[in-house]
Formats: sequence, C-alpha cells, structure tokens
Amino acid sequence: MSMQTIFVVSDEAPALAELCSGARAAAAQVTAILFGSEADAAGAAGCGADRLLYRQPADGAVPEDYAAAIADEVKKEPSALVLVNNSIRGRCLAGKLGVFLDTAVLTSVSALERSGEELVCHRMVYGGMAQRGEVFTKPYGVITVGGGVFEAANDAPQAAVAPFEGAPQGSLKRITSTSKKEGGVDLVAAKRIVDVGRGIAKEEDLELCRKLAAVLGAEVGCSRPVAENNKWLPKSSYMGITGVQVKPELIVVLGVSGQIQHIGGINKSRVIVAVNKDKSAPIFKNADLGVVGDLYKVVPALIEKLS
Amino acid sequence: MKVIVCCKVVPNEEELQVLPSRELSFDGVPWKISQYDLNALESGKQLAAGGGSMVALSIGSEAALGSSKIQKDILSRGPDALKLVIDDSKPFQDTLQTAKAIAGAVKAMGEYDLVLCGMGSSDLYFQEVGVQVGTLLGVPALNNVTGIKSAGEGVAEVERTLEDEVEVLEVPLPAVLSVSSEINVPSVPAMRDIMKAGKKPVDKLDCPDCGEPSLKTLEQLAPEQQERRQELVEGDGEEAVDALVRFLKKEGF
Repeated sequence: MSMQTIFVVSDEAPALAELCSGARAAAAQVTAILFGSEADAAGAAGCGADRLLYRQPADGAVPEDYAAAIADEVKKEPSALVLVNNSIRGRCLAGKLGVFLDTAVLTSVSALERSGEELVCHRMVYGGMAQRGEVFTKPYGVITVGGGVFEAANDAPQAAVAPFEGAPQGSLKRITSTSKKEGGVDLVAAKRIVDVGRGIAKEEDLELCRKLAAVLGAEVGCSRPVAENNKWLPKSSYMGITGVQVKPELIVVLGVSGQIQHIGGINKSRVIVAVNKDKSAPIFKNADLGVVGDLYKVVPALIEKLS
Repeated sequence: MKVIVCCKVVPNEEELQVLPSRELSFDGVPWKISQYDLNALESGKQLAAGGGSMVALSIGSEAALGSSKIQKDILSRGPDALKLVIDDSKPFQDTLQTAKAIAGAVKAMGEYDLVLCGMGSSDLYFQEVGVQVGTLLGVPALNNVTGIKSAGEGVAEVERTLEDEVEVLEVPLPAVLSVSSEINVPSVPAMRDIMKAGKKPVDKLDCPDCGEPSLKTLEQLAPEQQERRQELVEGDGEEAVDALVRFLKKEGF
C-alpha cells in the first residue's frame, strides 16, 4: 500500500517533533493528534505536521478510549499509516486502533523508509537475533516508535492547529491513580551511562557504580535481571531489545556478560568500555575497550583516578 | 473465577544460529513456553485457586504444539485443561491474525471471566495481541497489569503500572488482561504437578476464521556486527586502570 499519509498520535507533546520528523521523511502528508490542552498544542505547533489536532481527554477518560474516534478520522483517507508513541498507553491505543482499522500493529519500530510505493518498517525480532523488514498489505497500518529513533527537525513548518472532536468510548472507572516516583532516569537522552550487570554481587554495591557515574557525569542503567529479577533498579532502567535502547557517547559496562538481547539496547553507543572477570564473555566482542579483571578492584581505582 | 490463559510456544531464541548469509537457522532449535507467558500462567493459577477454573489456550503449528512434552509442560503450571488450535497453513506472524484466532477460540470455549496474556512473546514481542483480543471480543482490554483481584460478582480490581503512574481500575468482567512480568515470580512445577499434567485433558479446536495477514516480511537478517575496536587489557591492577584512564582521556571523556 502506498500510504502517502501518516497520522502521528502521541500523549506526550515533547515526543511529537521527533515522530513527525520521521513521518515527514516517509510520507507526503502528516497529521498529528496530540492528547493535551490547546496550550500544549500551540506549544507543539512547530512539530513538523501539516495539521495538528488536539484533545484533552474528558473527565474519567484516557487516551486509549479515543481509539474508535481516531480510527474514524484515519478512515477519511483511503490508506494511511498511524504512528503512535511507544508508551504503555500508546501501545494499548495502538492495539485498539489496529482492530478498528482491521490491521496488525508493529511495535518498537526502529526505522521507517520509503521504498518506491512501499513503506518499509524495520524492527528487532527473536530477542535481537534478527531485524525484520515488513510492509503492510492492507490499506491501513499501525506502528509504535520509541524515543530517540528519529531526530526532530530544526526548521519544521507550523502546523494548522484545530481541536479533535472525537468522543471517548469504553472508559473504565478509576478507583485511584498514584504518581510513581521510582527515580527513573531518561537513559535515551543520556550522554554517558554506567551499565550494571549481574557481576554486581549485592544491592549495596550499586553505590560503587553510582559513585563512578557521579565522577563521569553519567546516569546508571542496567541489564534485565538486575531490574526484573533483583529489582535493584526500576524497570525503566534496563537496556535491551525488550527495554530501553540508548545511544550515549560513552557507556561503561560493569559485570555484564553481553547477551544479544542486552547488546541490542546499547550497541548504538559511540564508545563502549567493558569490565568483566570472564575473558570469554561476549561483551568483549562488542566493546571498544575491554578490561578483563575484577570490577571490585578496577572501579574503586578508576573512581580515585578520575576524581 | 473462570480464567483462560493464552500461552505461546516459541523457538528458544538463545539456541538460534546465525548463518553466514546472516539468515537465522531454526534447525534443531527446541521449543519452549514463551517466557512472559509464565507470568500469565502463574496469575491464572492464583486466581483460579479457591474454587475457580483455569484453561490454557495455545495457537500455532504442529511442530510447536504437537509434542506431548510441551503440552505437559504447560499443564504442569496450573491449568485444568489445554485447548490447542493447530494450523500449519497460517503464519500467525502478525498481531491481528493471531488475535482473531484467539478471539475465535475463546468464543468457542463458552463463558469466561478473564483471558490472561503475557506482556509479549519471546520471539516477536509485539505486546499487542492481548489488547487486540479484548477489542475484537468487545470487552475491556488492558496492558501492563501488575495486580488482579476479584471485587465481587462480575467485577475485578485491576492495578496497572504506567511509566510514571499506578492506576487502580474497576473492570467489569469478562475482560482481557495482559500481565506485566512484575506481577509475580512464576513458580517451578513440583514433581507432583508434572505427574498430574499427563492426566489432564488436551483438546484440539478448529482454527477460527482469522482473515488474511496484514503484513508481508521482506527480509529477516541478523544485524550487522557493529564495528568495535575490541582492544583488551588484562588484569585489575594499577596498569590496567591507567590504560583505561588513558583510553577515556584519548576519547575525550
């Protein structure tokens, strides 16, 4: 399908400029739909879309309740791709949109390119073992794209801003809503990262990694087991194909074996430095500099030299 | 509570081989229960304890689902019975086709309170099938669920954890919930569970109408190895640390 129109849907205004820039590179017409106020929309008008529709969710409604309304808007075009930001709500909205548009969803798309009449979507499969290039064979397609995949354009034209009139459907009764303060960091935007793996023996030893991060001016991230099994760091801190994909200038990888699913999250880093006791650890094949040694000796000495 | 747990059988991605052409080889790769579906099975087991029922549903190829070993593996994790939709003519490589097959099978299975899915499959990891199943069935559908409890007849109280917010929702049943990997720690089946699994019923259902695929795969290749310098310093004494510091300085850090 030729899909000359892309709808960009986001519940986060700051994500729009990136997403619209990626959409603009692949399609002639870009319509953005933002969940936010008129003021949010005015602030995001330079996002690069031709049209920007905004909607503050009604009382008791959330963005995913607008899936049917957005599908109706999309169906005004004979064929289109819908690009949704890859948040948890975004993925819920995307799945519903897919049903209303009778199409599948491709999540965490890492590249979108036009090849003649076709829009080719690339994403990782099998835990990072392979990348798949796919095209939609139906009039509509739905994808989700995370932060850092596209770069916002500097000189994007102003969009024509208008309210989106669609009504919510199927809202659930919310008993409570608590904002979560788990100290999560924005690893996607980080320039330097200290990456902690299972070579760290105890939760207290994270302090050592934090100290190194402090002297380097880095954020702390980790591999999946450290967040999911040990729960030493919030889930938003784990990097990998099923976690955050980062691209810092420098990543210092401590006690990480380097399974492919983790490498898939960090291999866009400019410089990778790894410390691991096990010389045969696959991380060394993916590092610019590897230190085969005990991180409990290397890291304190490194902190001292850098302080 | 009557619970249906969806459970996918996938090739073990850790044993896939990359061929020189960068294509993947699936030769001799064993099948396994998709990792995050273990959380859905555990949730189902907990909800069905105390008078409920739990049935597992799996959809896929004969190669994936035909062996009694994998069937027993699923059944040792809590379900009373296993329903299978086996169809080698469908690729089941896109979320909508898979969701239509599951929704059709769920309808054929009669009344239910909850359909549970894992957060995403180990092979394709779309994280979308559960939401699409619920939407196709016209019932509430939620992703990233971190807590479920019964809240009286026909209602569940569902905790859902978003990036920066935890919401607790009143969900009328039936509903389809995709559980997060944070919801529980899947238990390892005891010998008794494994023995009992062989006696539990396994039924095959006809493949429901699930339409044409929405996607065409153009290529599937291992990512090109990123060029890395792979310089190596051995040891953890002062020399090694000095080499590391020199490297960082040289790189401008």
